[in-house]
Amino acid sequence: MENILTVLLFFPLLAGLLGFAVHKDSIRTYGIAVASIEFLLSLWLWISFDMTHAGFQFIENIPLISDFGISYYVGVDGISLFIIIMATLMTLIGIIALNIEKDIKNLIITLLFLEVAMIGVFVSLDAILFYLFWEFSLVPMLYIIGAWGGERRLYAAIKFFLYTFAGSLIMLIGMLYMAYAYHSISGSWSFAITDWYALLLPLEVEKWLFWAFFLGFAIKVPMFPFHTWLPYAHGQAPTVGSVILAAVLLKMGTYGFVRFSLPMFPDASVMYITPVAILAIIMIIYTAMVAYAQEDMKQTIAYSSVSHMGVIIIGTFAMNAEGITGSIFLMLSHGIVSGALFLLVGSIYDRRHTKLMSEFGGLASVMPKYAVIYGIMLMASVGLPLTIGFVGEYLALAGFYKISPVMTLLAGTSIILGAVYMLNLYKRTFFGPVTNDANLKLEDLDGKEMAALVPLVLIVIWLGVYPKPVLVPIDNTVKALTSFMHEKAQTKEAKATILVSKTNREKK
Amino acid sequence: MIGLSHYLVLSAILFSIGLVGVLRRKNLLMLFFATEIMLNAANVAFAAISYHYNDLSGQMFAFFVVAVAASEIAVGLGLLVILYKKYGTLDLDEFTVMRG
Amino acid sequence: MENLLYIALFSPLVGSLFAALFAMSPKNIITGIVTSALLLISFIASAILFEHVMTVGAVHVTMMDWIMAGDMLIPFGFLVDQISVTMMVVVTLVSTVVHIYSIGYMDHDKSFNRFFSYLSAFVFSMMVLVMSDNFLGLFIGWEGVGVCSWLLIGFWYHKEDVSRDVNPSISPSWAANEAFIMNRIADLGMLIGIFILYWNTGSLQYDVVFAALPNLSDGILVAAAIALFVGAMGKSAQFPLHTWLTDAMEGPTPVSALIHAATMVTAGVFLIIRANPLYAMEAVEWVSYFIASLGTFVAIFAASMALVCRDLKRIIAFSTLSQLGYMFAAAGLGAYWIALFHLAAHAFFKALLFLGAGNVMHAMNDELDIFKMGGLKKVMRWTYLYMGLASLALSGIGIAGVGLAGYFSKDAIIETAFNEQNYILWIILIVTAGMTAFYSFRQVFLTFHGSKRYADTEIHPHDMYKYVLIAMSPLAILAVIAGFFKGWFEEFVTVLLPAYKMSEETHHIAWILGLVVIAFAVGGIVLAYIKYNKGLKRNEELENSLVYRLLSNQYYIPQLYDKIFSKPYAAFSRFSWLTLDQKIVDATVDGIGNMIKTGGDNTRKIQTGNLSDYLRWMARGVVLLVIVAFISHQLSQGAN
Repeated sequence: MENILTVLLFFPLLAGLLGFAVHKDSIRTYGIAVASIEFLLSLWLWISFDMTHAGFQFIENIPLISDFGISYYVGVDGISLFIIIMATLMTLIGIIALNIEKDIKNLIITLLFLEVAMIGVFVSLDAILFYLFWEFSLVPMLYIIGAWGGERRLYAAIKFFLYTFAGSLIMLIGMLYMAYAYHSISGSWSFAITDWYALLLPLEVEKWLFWAFFLGFAIKVPMFPFHTWLPYAHGQAPTVGSVILAAVLLKMGTYGFVRFSLPMFPDASVMYITPVAILAIIMIIYTAMVAYAQEDMKQTIAYSSVSHMGVIIIGTFAMNAEGITGSIFLMLSHGIVSGALFLLVGSIYDRRHTKLMSEFGGLASVMPKYAVIYGIMLMASVGLPLTIGFVGEYLALAGFYKISPVMTLLAGTSIILGAVYMLNLYKRTFFGPVTNDANLKLEDLDGKEMAALVPLVLIVIWLGVYPKPVLVPIDNTVKALTSFMHEKAQTKEAKATILVSKTNREKK
Repeated sequence: MIGLSHYLVLSAILFSIGLVGVLRRKNLLMLFFATEIMLNAANVAFAAISYHYNDLSGQMFAFFVVAVAASEIAVGLGLLVILYKKYGTLDLDEFTVMRG
Repeated sequence: MENLLYIALFSPLVGSLFAALFAMSPKNIITGIVTSALLLISFIASAILFEHVMTVGAVHVTMMDWIMAGDMLIPFGFLVDQISVTMMVVVTLVSTVVHIYSIGYMDHDKSFNRFFSYLSAFVFSMMVLVMSDNFLGLFIGWEGVGVCSWLLIGFWYHKEDVSRDVNPSISPSWAANEAFIMNRIADLGMLIGIFILYWNTGSLQYDVVFAALPNLSDGILVAAAIALFVGAMGKSAQFPLHTWLTDAMEGPTPVSALIHAATMVTAGVFLIIRANPLYAMEAVEWVSYFIASLGTFVAIFAASMALVCRDLKRIIAFSTLSQLGYMFAAAGLGAYWIALFHLAAHAFFKALLFLGAGNVMHAMNDELDIFKMGGLKKVMRWTYLYMGLASLALSGIGIAGVGLAGYFSKDAIIETAFNEQNYILWIILIVTAGMTAFYSFRQVFLTFHGSKRYADTEIHPHDMYKYVLIAMSPLAILAVIAGFFKGWFEEFVTVLLPAYKMSEETHHIAWILGLVVIAFAVGGIVLAYIKYNKGLKRNEELENSLVYRLLSNQYYIPQLYDKIFSKPYAAFSRFSWLTLDQKIVDATVDGIGNMIKTGGDNTRKIQTGNLSDYLRWMARGVVLLVIVAFISHQLSQGAN
């Protein structure tokens, strides 16, 4: 099927619009059906994806405003393919686990629109299109937090919106300048990312553009010190909002680094490895400590998200295939694991209407199934080998070791500090005697929750033991990316830092 | 010899008179007069420069301005009449419904 | 042979998964029987592989690819050679015994099935650890045993946290977390070591890495050796990462026997032995020497704490720590095969000792304080025999080439220290041998001899079930006879490991050296006999002395760690959250938001609603723009 990406992109939109006509009682079934079809479509994308080919596939290019070189230009490569599949999967899981009665129709339609925006971001190969979807993704999320959130939902929603919006505006300026630079060098207008890749910018311009894009992405990731919107957003968002926010929306930032910053500004990226890595290391250690101090389970997981995103940044700036592949894999594993953890916190919140660790204790005796799944996700989160969490974290750190052993050591404290706050959370919540009588009669996970969580558990173990089907396509694309960056780099320093892999599995 | 600069100076003086009128007068009717003066100052400049460069488009533009001014007065005076009927005054300081 | 390898490796996993199926249902004896049977199968397969390695040679298989990215290609590959097959046999043998033992020991526990699931999962991880053919595969097992140890130490997770004075380990879940986190600290070192090796040799396969070692610079070799040893320090609980091991005694006793004595804690020693080509390099000589010195220090350090300890299991844990020190001393001095031999021998008698302690606990309603026991000899004949044997083996009793397992293995280590002309280490190790004999027999006498100090309680001790006692017998037999296989074992394992031969002179005076060791060991036992055989005479003055309190509080190291690491970390975390994050970082963000808001609030006054005001602002704006335009025009002209 030639137009699979267009179908993938517009099917949820159409289904969302049709959803207004569906009756309130059957909207959940409708939502699950739509999300399942969308998920199957994305799986089909994976099946028909040519694993040996590193470049973009399923490309569609329809000029929209040809005078300015703006077009409907979409395609996927190994980097975006799996993030798209994860986005459709997490939307499906989120809808299955949905436990909200209020305005459920609007919520499901909003989720479908959000899915459009997420897929749009990851398939766009035109900067304007990318920007449109990037901004569009804020609106459904704003609505989800603002309408179904906790007590301070308006504050959290507005903070989330304005903060990330401000960042994206700076990115937009960067994009416009990039297009302008393209125009003044090549003489024609183009917003196609592939055209921008080929453009050789003066070093001075590259530096400025790097920081413009950096700000937009860094706020989205969110990198220290731009992270403070995240705990509020997570703290106030309903479970499904947190799941999607942590699993997919945060990945837009790190994806941006790989899609824009690295191939467009290889020299500037190499030049600024140190400051970026220092920020990432602060982010890893500092937020891990903050996570340890939390009293609210959900906040611990929110901060742990930030900490893990630091490792992703470290891997992205490793400038070799090991690190970048690792960081992309870590994006996937973090999406699945933190999504699952938020779902788990959501289930206990539904039962007790509190997320404070001090309210719990001894849950392992009362809710054994819950404790087991929580335990598996926790171990995946701290990066236990043979779970999905290890592969990415290991590769990202291994890759960055080539850049700086000392900084790798500092970033590696993630595996210690992660264990500290996660085990502390687990001990306070699940171990010890049951001290609170309210917990004595808690029901274990029900069918709906198991249906949402068990697939995630299976994925966590499957991709931990056998990550090859996912790693290889990512790796092919990343190898092509690093050799492209190596070719494009102008300074000697950058050429020396960006490693080209010797092994190449791509068929010519 | 009266040259372009004389016309422009005249235009500037007229414009300034109009501007001061706009800023200082409180009566809406007077404000209209002042705007008319400013428009006509522009017309003088248009006509003079058009003559100087031997380019008719300036004079054509002056006619446009005259036409626009006429229609503006027509509508504007109508509004003024209604305003006066409603509030019984044309004093600007009385109209502060748009206060932020 | 490949199939046999897979059977040896995967039958514990199958057992674990089988038991996991019943994890949430009430006790089902089937789980215990099935897991034990599968482990027996694994043991038989390992034994056949042992024979195969001996007669034919190593078996190497690659099961499938695991991680592949960039130039990194890591398969699930398994290597059965002299080193790993020795470990396999030891691990599966001890595990089988411990599994059968646990059927009896965990008889009344409501989480019986869950226990067997964890225990078999542990054995699987341990098998992965020893059988892997690359460093990352070893790391899988390394972390896997860590998690299983976490699960098993915290097995009785429902117990409450208590203060350190009541229970030095605070609670099972606390001890479990401590063990996991401390191991993680070391694991970071190990990971860094793996990165160093990868980027400098381009692979993580043992054979490729070791072949590339001679081409590496000294600095890299030293860095890799240190980093890997840091990893080993965590798993083998070497100072300063040792506190978790004694706290780990919170786990059920079979766990202590299997994980915290016989197998997991020896993983660090195994790693050093595995990486012997690295540690034998000339450039890392001083690292090896440091390992030997640290090992010797830990040997005497742990033994000193065991001298005054009152907790039955902790005494054995300290002795484990001390014996691990011996193994590191041997490995550091280059006598890798002796370290491996001591590892195997120690596994047998230490597991036996722990299982014996388990019998005592079972009989005494989980009482651990040896001051409250005594006179158990009559009611627990078999256990007395087993523990006595194990203690004799641990003390290294024997003479003129006839003796128990410890006599052969530990003596060899002490002899090595002498042979290396490292007399300080030699003397310390000898003194430690005396201390070992003393505390081992102090425990035996206090437990089994003398008066029944528990008489005024409701406890009616009885010996363990028959089948449990029978199941323990292989360990007892091995604790007695393992030493006789020393020469044969040396021949077998030095095919792969560097042969370590004593010099002529050492060989000459070996019998004198042996006598010195025996003298110390016997001295220790005699001292213990004099002091404790008749019963317990408590000496208030001694117990309140500074040294005694220092030793019984483990040199106050746990408290110190609490003060300088845990508490400040928690305090600083709170500070980071409440002050740094909320009052500085977030306040700045909100400040910017508020600035814009108040700015808008203030400028709102311009909006008077008065048309002439607006016109005036417009005029000012126009004037301003004209001025700006004029100035910039002038400036640009000036620039040109």
